[in-house]
Amino acid sequence: MQQMPLQIGSQMVDLCAALLLLTCFAIVAQRRLTACVDLFALQSVFLAATAGLVAFLTGIHHIYVAAALIVVIKVIVIPRILKQVIERLNVSRELVMNVNIPTGLLICGILVILSCFITQPIIPIGFLLTRDSLTIALAIVLIGFFTMIARKKAVTQVIGFLVMENGLFLGATAAAYGMPLIVELGVFFDVLVGALIIGIYTHRLQDAFDSVDTSKLTVLKE
Amino acid sequence: MLHALLLVGVQTIVLLVVAPFVVGLIRKVKARLQCRRGAGVFQPYADLAKLFRKQPVVSTTTSWIFTATPYILFASTLAAGLLVPVFASKMPLNFAGNIIALVYLLALGTFFLILAGLDAGSAFGGMGSSREAIVASLTEPAMILSIFAIALTAGSTNLSTIVHKTALLEGIVTDPAPHLMALAALFIVALAETGRVPVDNPATHLELTMIHEAMVLEYSGRYLALVEWAAGIKLLVFLTLIANVFAPWGIATTHTPAAIGIGILVYLVKVSGLAVLIGTIESMFAKLRLFRVTDLLGVAFILALLALVFFYILRG
Repeated sequence: MQQMPLQIGSQMVDLCAALLLLTCFAIVAQRRLTACVDLFALQSVFLAATAGLVAFLTGIHHIYVAAALIVVIKVIVIPRILKQVIERLNVSRELVMNVNIPTGLLICGILVILSCFITQPIIPIGFLLTRDSLTIALAIVLIGFFTMIARKKAVTQVIGFLVMENGLFLGATAAAYGMPLIVELGVFFDVLVGALIIGIYTHRLQDAFDSVDTSKLTVLKE
Repeated sequence: MLHALLLVGVQTIVLLVVAPFVVGLIRKVKARLQCRRGAGVFQPYADLAKLFRKQPVVSTTTSWIFTATPYILFASTLAAGLLVPVFASKMPLNFAGNIIALVYLLALGTFFLILAGLDAGSAFGGMGSSREAIVASLTEPAMILSIFAIALTAGSTNLSTIVHKTALLEGIVTDPAPHLMALAALFIVALAETGRVPVDNPATHLELTMIHEAMVLEYSGRYLALVEWAAGIKLLVFLTLIANVFAPWGIATTHTPAAIGIGILVYLVKVSGLAVLIGTIESMFAKLRLFRVTDLLGVAFILALLALVFFYILRG
């Protein structure tokens, strides 16, 4: 009797993790900046759902706190900050990228396969709640990293960074049932401050170069 | 034997009758979302009846391909529809072909439609054909891979077996991640293959970017009726695939009249739900630029590939 709900629960966690991965691919294929921000908010909703499910299944209460913090910070506050930045910058879409979208998608596919191979030997050793979450978490971290490399606009690089952080949180929740609450609070504060600083920095970039293309920073200017 | 023939007959009738209804329902949903009253849900039936009564006009420069294509398209699409379990999971025609036969029966119709678009020698038709060829060649691998991922979970490429096993939750590997990815991929493929909005706009006849409508621009009368009916059936086949492969619950697993009755009702509800979803998506999104279509279909291909990879590497 005890086995059945746990199995269904672990499949639900897998489903949420897969939804996280799907939104990752949507972000990689999306050019419009506001849509990228919306997709990041959606991804954070799925992350909060995953955290809530894990908290419910394991009975560890502080994960609920973390899930609530995700909703407040990553679903509401950070997307609002980013949208204000986008509104002020007057850029709606990203036309030039370091890697074009079809190639980027292929690379992300390869990254997922790579993380499958990396995590495959680890999964049978531990006592994980789910089978896929660790693989998907690693894949999301790699895809977030790739987004930061592939995009030129500062705003999408921030989103790449935040996606990476989402992946890390998913990994921590899936593999270790969350970090201690004090660490999680610290990480959330870091992310919030990071997003704020990058927002201000993007404004400065816009003022100095009339563009948020970070590759302009490599050019010397008197 | 008679029993089997009866079942096939009922399935043919359901496909033929429901297809225009789905098209009408999508149009109605779009009209309501645009704050219009819109034509009735049963308008496509009247359109088809009118077109069948009209005299077809055929250009003198066309060959036999132009007049044969509507019949080939209609027959191949209907045959593809008969391979899919619609309201009963065990269909008597399931010996005739599996998923691969289904995909290539649909591709046969597309192939002849492309030829017919070129046949009349008009610039519009040729443009439509060239674009349809791009879209078809990009969707085919995504479609095959996504259905293969599902076939792996059931251990068979026969659609009846897959649907039957999933409906009874027997002998299948329940696995949310690959299922979800394959579903997303197949949904994008369905939108692209049936010429719905992010890829093509079915409501236009005056655009430089149209695909399907450009190919069939030269058709009139009963030929146009057959082409449009076939397009409706193709849409219905895709919706049936999505509904019955990923959520077959409610389908008739036995052949008693009561089970089949419930099966047909549940089928109508599921297909209507999907039609409303497609109508909503068409109202929410703008059509993609033609050269951006590859981005969308790239997503579908990668997701389908990942569904397979997840299955092989993590479960293998």
